[in-house]
Amino acid sequence: MKYTVDIVTENKPGVLYRIAGLLTKRKINIERINAYTVKNNGISKIFFTAEIEDRIVDTLVKQIYKIIEVIEIKYHKVSH
Amino acid sequence: MKHTGAEILMRSLLQEKVEVIFGYPGGANMPIYDALYFYEKKLRHILVRHEQGAAHAAEGYARVTGKPGVCLVTSGPGATNLVTGIADAMMDSVPIVCVTGQVAAEFLGSDAFQETDVIGVTTPITKWNRQLTHADEIPEAVAKAFYIASHGRPGPVVIDITKNTQFEKAEFNYPKNFYIKKLKTVNKFNNGDIEKAAEIINNAKKPLMLVGHGVLISKAEKEVLKVIEKTGMVAASTLHGLSSIPFDHPLYVGMLGMHGNYSPNKLTNSADVLFAVGMRFDDRVTSKLSEYAPHAKVIHIDIDESEHHKNIHAHVPLVGNVKDVLKKLTPLLKKNNHVNWLNEFKDMDKKELAVEKNKQIKNKNKLTMDVVLSLLSKKTKNEAIIVADVGQNQMFAARYYKYKNPDSYITSGGLGTMGFAVPAAIGAKIGAPKRLVFAVVGDGGIQMTIQEFGTIMQEKLPIKILLLNNEYLGMVRQWQQLFFEKRYSFTHMESPDFIKLARSYNISGEKVVERNKLDSALDKFINFNGPYLLEVKVEKEDNIFPMVATGTSVDEVRLE
Ligand SMILES: Cc1ncc(C[n+]2csc(CCOP(=O)(O)OP(=O)(O)O)c2C)c(N)n1
Ligand SMILES: [Mg+2]
Repeated sequence: MKYTVDIVTENKPGVLYRIAGLLTKRKINIERINAYTVKNNGISKIFFTAEIEDRIVDTLVKQIYKIIEVIEIKYHKVSH
Repeated sequence: MKHTGAEILMRSLLQEKVEVIFGYPGGANMPIYDALYFYEKKLRHILVRHEQGAAHAAEGYARVTGKPGVCLVTSGPGATNLVTGIADAMMDSVPIVCVTGQVAAEFLGSDAFQETDVIGVTTPITKWNRQLTHADEIPEAVAKAFYIASHGRPGPVVIDITKNTQFEKAEFNYPKNFYIKKLKTVNKFNNGDIEKAAEIINNAKKPLMLVGHGVLISKAEKEVLKVIEKTGMVAASTLHGLSSIPFDHPLYVGMLGMHGNYSPNKLTNSADVLFAVGMRFDDRVTSKLSEYAPHAKVIHIDIDESEHHKNIHAHVPLVGNVKDVLKKLTPLLKKNNHVNWLNEFKDMDKKELAVEKNKQIKNKNKLTMDVVLSLLSKKTKNEAIIVADVGQNQMFAARYYKYKNPDSYITSGGLGTMGFAVPAAIGAKIGAPKRLVFAVVGDGGIQMTIQEFGTIMQEKLPIKILLLNNEYLGMVRQWQQLFFEKRYSFTHMESPDFIKLARSYNISGEKVVERNKLDSALDKFINFNGPYLLEVKVEKEDNIFPMVATGTSVDEVRLE
């Protein structure tokens, strides 16, 4: 299934790399990604969409949440 | 007053109560080594012979002390040599803090001499990492590194410090009462979940507790005993949970997994409740997932939320520190016993024992790993620390030494890193100088980090190395025998004269080739004052059983 994952994170170097690494590990290909900083408060938002197996999506999202800088994470199915 | 970055690093490490550093110098960390020269009395530095050894030694230190182990290496090859050890610590949740030197900030990205993208290389195998390019960043980064390594689920962290940062001057202000909110609140279980868990346990007919590394990390050994003794629940251990429950406890039924005992593997699939305590349902424990514990309701305590439902669905996931969860849970548990259930295990144990007896009769005058480890256990009153390498030696050490005290079996479980034992034993001995520390290692694994004999020599560490030499990469040979029709493809290994080699490092030793010399050789080995290598020429084609073959169910565990 296709999922979109919404992430709020501290704006620190390497966070996107860690997220991408967790996807690479499972051979998941990002279809769409958007990232930007919010005002000047050191917070970034990252959204990505990818084909992720239903069986692993919850674990994957919790693994992303383990990244120290990540503050909030949500995900939802993309409807066609 | 301003200090150099290198000096600030020293002061920061002292703030974290660091006592020992395992390291190796080079161009990109020379200013740090220069500062260390003046801190020699306060910060003991152990010069390893290869950076991989530094990482494993730091792991060994962390595993016996519960405190993060510290490594210090240079950029480029120094850092890449550390990689295996960092990956090992990540897989086994071991807190280590690695400081790597890096080329000066102005050269970053230019392929400067000994530049490696250390952040890039270590990101997938660290809990956290950070590159520092200014001296004033050091105190907070160090505080953060130690906090992260040791809070929540422990793990490795890397601080990569560019050379200019080490020279640059700044004020030293160490953050007070530093914490990270996200890691501070580890207990996310609620009372409702605790009540649900208690109800399931109280109604269980065939409850089985699976204890893992989390019990040792959270020092919850007593709490575990309270639960099993109150409920009469039967308990089995993962490889990393070994030594959390004394071997002779009446409710303890042995080790789980691929080379675990017969009864706990077999009866996992009869259990109506599995109470997983600080373990992560690794594939070496569960084997074929679709046929694992089909009748069991699963209660799963893990400090790491992402472990719940990862491999096994938990009916009651409890996120938190094992000790805290058990303390909340125990008062709700009813006094009970499950004698018939326990007897099912005892009956199966008889089958395993019978096979073992037969083997002993067949091998009467032969040297086998089980005999060596059983005798070692007896002669050391089951009280030593065993640091096992990887392979058959590791599994025999897990199964035949009888663990009585916590933190007594240390090995590389998740990564299965050959070469772990000798350097990890160095760290363990330094962390627990009063305990007897044995490295148990095979003829293959010992040669992966044998250069650390030099470290043992220089530090005069009274480590005892038990080399079980079968002239094979034994575990691989066993698989070739069982699953590849005995095609022993490149698993026979010729080795140097290990005793001579040890002697050249000032390590005394003896080689045993006959069964009737084993007793006296072990006595000398155990009582020798100083480092010692005991090489035992064991049967070449012996196998470790029981065994759950890959792809089969735990209840298809083979006795022979
Ligand atoms: C670094 C590394 N390379 C390869 C392996 C694969 N491997 C697992 S066990 C084993 C054999 C180990 O042989 P030895 O050290 O002699 O121990 P034995 O099994 O004979 O007791 C090998 C090659 C490994 N675990 N680690
Ligand atoms: Mg061998």
